[in-house]
Amino acid sequence: MGLFSNEKKVDYDKIVDKMVPDAKKEMDESQYDTELGLNMARDARKVISGKLKIEDFHKVYSSSLTKEFGNYYASADGPDIRKGDGPKWAMVIDLKKCVGCDTCTVSCKAENRTPPGISYNVVMESLEGEFPNIKAVNLPRPCMQCDKPACAQVCPTRATYKLENGIVAIDNDRCIGCRYCIVACPYGARSFDFGESYEQEMQGANDVTSPEYGVERGNREKGKTPIGTVRKCSFCFHRLQRGEEPACVETCIGDARFFGDISDPNSVVSKLAASPRAFRLKEELGTHPNVIYLR
Amino acid sequence: MANLAVDLKEKSTSKTKINVQVSKAFKIWISALTVAFLIGGYFIVERFITGLAATNLSSITPWGAWIAFYIFFVGLSAGSFLLSTLIYVFGMEEYERVGKAALFTAIVCMIVALTFVLMDLGRPERLLNAIIYWNVTSPLGWEVHFYLVYIALLMVELYIAMREDLVRAAKKNTMQGFVAKLLTFKNSTINAATKKRDHMWMKVLGTVGIPIAIFGVHGGTGTIFALVKARPAWNTALFPIIFVVSAMVSGTALLLAMYVIKKKVQKQEIDKNMVVSLAKLMVGFLIIDLGLQFYEYLTGWYGLEAEHLDTLGTMMASEKAWSFWIVQMFLGAVVPITLVFWKKTSENINALLTAAVLIVIGIIGVRFNIVVPPLVVPVFHELPWGNYAPTIKEWMVSVGVVAMGLLIYSFGELLLPIEETSDEVSHNGK
Repeated sequence: MGLFSNEKKVDYDKIVDKMVPDAKKEMDESQYDTELGLNMARDARKVISGKLKIEDFHKVYSSSLTKEFGNYYASADGPDIRKGDGPKWAMVIDLKKCVGCDTCTVSCKAENRTPPGISYNVVMESLEGEFPNIKAVNLPRPCMQCDKPACAQVCPTRATYKLENGIVAIDNDRCIGCRYCIVACPYGARSFDFGESYEQEMQGANDVTSPEYGVERGNREKGKTPIGTVRKCSFCFHRLQRGEEPACVETCIGDARFFGDISDPNSVVSKLAASPRAFRLKEELGTHPNVIYLR
Repeated sequence: MANLAVDLKEKSTSKTKINVQVSKAFKIWISALTVAFLIGGYFIVERFITGLAATNLSSITPWGAWIAFYIFFVGLSAGSFLLSTLIYVFGMEEYERVGKAALFTAIVCMIVALTFVLMDLGRPERLLNAIIYWNVTSPLGWEVHFYLVYIALLMVELYIAMREDLVRAAKKNTMQGFVAKLLTFKNSTINAATKKRDHMWMKVLGTVGIPIAIFGVHGGTGTIFALVKARPAWNTALFPIIFVVSAMVSGTALLLAMYVIKKKVQKQEIDKNMVVSLAKLMVGFLIIDLGLQFYEYLTGWYGLEAEHLDTLGTMMASEKAWSFWIVQMFLGAVVPITLVFWKKTSENINALLTAAVLIVIGIIGVRFNIVVPPLVVPVFHELPWGNYAPTIKEWMVSVGVVAMGLLIYSFGELLLPIEETSDEVSHNGK
């Protein structure tokens, strides 16, 4: 190695270090305690990597933080207040920004490896008005992840249920495939997996796995779930677990989709959901969808 | 009471004679059914191997022929059971001859209905999940439980209705006697006390069964549809009631047809008064059913809701409208009503038989028109529309399942004293 080249090994970390401002210098310039800031930063990294529990982190620093920030810290949301309820995911789709390119549909198919005939995410297109005063309306439709899901209401086996984070999930190992939920969903967001495959078009199509609700189900095979059961959009549950946005949000070329925690009043989705442009589909049914549109 | 023994002797000898006489027709009937069952069985096996890809169902139209047949047979069952309660609870003794047949038909129809559900499930091997993980907000979850309670109740009631005949038959040295021996206890007797007890239990079980059949079994099956808010054409309060009334129509028609056909094949005398009266009852139910349907369609049409109008349009004015106008309305309603009320045919057994058979076929049309049109129309106008017609495979599986039901019924008639005319009703409770 390196015998025929005298190329020097570049330490990329050092380049990055040059870019990052010196923490000590920055903290010295601020009005707050340098020592405390650096220690907190170090332990915060431990929390992120899982070496330290967030509760312990707060235990260690709460007294010094109260000293440093006084009442301002004490009145802020501590970890205890939000214990047990994590984020509640919601999506906002700006119809003025949607160009109807179907990128969300395609990226969703690629991300979730849905078989032929199943699309979790479609764009419904219609013309409104009379010629010449017409406009095209594109209405993307993922699963609405309703607060009161009709599908979960009618499922005889409780195979479909509402998660705490707002996502309506399916237990594919419990579903008996009666398709009552498909019939009951007012948004047509559910599909039955008839076992079809892209095998004829694509070699090895059945070797890729689909991460339904974060569960790797192995190769696509007959008699294995989710074949013979119901499938639906999960807000890309597996991507959320990695801290990423759903595929349709990430790939939207017009930036028409926003994703976030609707229980946080400061999140973008909460603010957009409060806008006078906001509306939900078929609100009169009382399902209270967590996909909000901006008209 | 004293000449009971003499009666018994006569009956048992005449019965064995009859058995010999009908055996040839019975053999042909059984072999035809077996062939149909085996052909259907091939497709049932194929369906279990390939899964629901064997059907024309899609995610837009997820329910089809098998669900239509399922509600048809649940309706037949509830209808024939309710007819039996007219006899055993309300004492309408004129229909006594079809009483036990009504109970047995109700059981067999439930078995057929549940087999259709099993065919329709994506994962039939997990059927028990609906009991293990019962979701109390699901009408379907409730139905599964109601069906089981209902079948158990029917079996107990049929046993009590047959008890006297079983005790009598147990003394005979025939196939039926052998089965009767298995089913009765050694010290089973017939006396005034047991007659009274049996009659009391028939009344109790029938009375308990009425709400179970009306609200639980068939009204409940209508509720499966009526509670679906996403489909305006189903989402009406009248829907479960129409289910119950059309169950009475089809149940009465089926029993009437079966009674006449059986008597004709066995070359026995037909109780004409009963047939005419049953036919009147049947058409009475049919007219109530039509009236309710009229209001159902009128309300939907007047409401101007886009999906509801689309559904009515699909049912009455698309290329599928033949099943509404020809099967449901013309063959299933206009012709039978004419046959029963027209003076020339109202006393004619053959005409009444035709009317009954046409009504049963018409109700099949009703069931298809309940299931398919609301599911062809998508929940958003912009989504693709469904295009459902059953495949040959779906039809063949249906033939197999129905043949299975008829086989169970035929063997049941052979082995159990269903036909035996005990003086159960007329002698007791007086």
